[in-house]
Amino acid sequence: MLDGVAGNLEQYMTLLADRQKLVAANIANADTPGYKTRDIDFQTEFRNALDGAPPNVTEVQGLTVKNDGNNVSLDREARLLAENDLRFNIATNLLRGQIRTLKLAIDGGGSSSS
Amino acid sequence: MSLFSTLSVSASGMAAQRARAEVLVENLANADTTRTAEGGPYQRKDVVFETSSTSSPFSSVFQSALDGEASGVAVSQVVTDSRPPERRYMPGHPDADKDGYVAYPRVNPAEDMVDLLGASRGYEANVAAMGAIKDMIQRSIDLLK
Repeated sequence: MLDGVAGNLEQYMTLLADRQKLVAANIANADTPGYKTRDIDFQTEFRNALDGAPPNVTEVQGLTVKNDGNNVSLDREARLLAENDLRFNIATNLLRGQIRTLKLAIDGGGSSSS
Repeated sequence: MSLFSTLSVSASGMAAQRARAEVLVENLANADTTRTAEGGPYQRKDVVFETSSTSSPFSSVFQSALDGEASGVAVSQVVTDSRPPERRYMPGHPDADKDGYVAYPRVNPAEDMVDLLGASRGYEANVAAMGAIKDMIQRSIDLLK
């Protein structure tokens, strides 16, 4: 029973971790001349990840390019940082629920305190 | 585990911003230095950033799809400002030339202070990113409880 939903949650968390890495890279390169903001299309890549395909990283279009050719927007990255963090929080809490259910089944319905 | 290598990305950002701040502070400290080991007045310096790949101690074993990409940042070089020195008329100064002018470094404190603010904000942004990633790792660990 852990396989179905928990497997998808694991893919979700892995993809969130990959996206958080891109956000961290964008923030680290906020002052690198010529650096272009990179991101993944989360919905599409999550569907691909469920089929086992690696994420496809693209350069984000439509951002203001500064004089040095860099287009990192710290506001955008701060929002994504918080969003990924919260989504990861949801996923870990759901996964914890799955594990708790399984433990309950193992314990035979809750005579144990944990 | 991708999250641990993400910590290295933020760490590289912090290191680069710190190096930039060090150079800027050196400029401010030497704004009036007329004598250097190379001779002549101090010359203003600046850092150039470039993307670089980061490595985590376990990257060879638990490699993620994105691990091979250059995602960190590093200081590629420290460039010297080529603007000519500022000449001030100070005939009594020991470094004055025969016309009584002293060559002072072309350091504009306002320029370096603004850059320093940028370095400080950049450092803070990397610290915030590292905090968020640390939270994610901690929550993954809490699943074991």
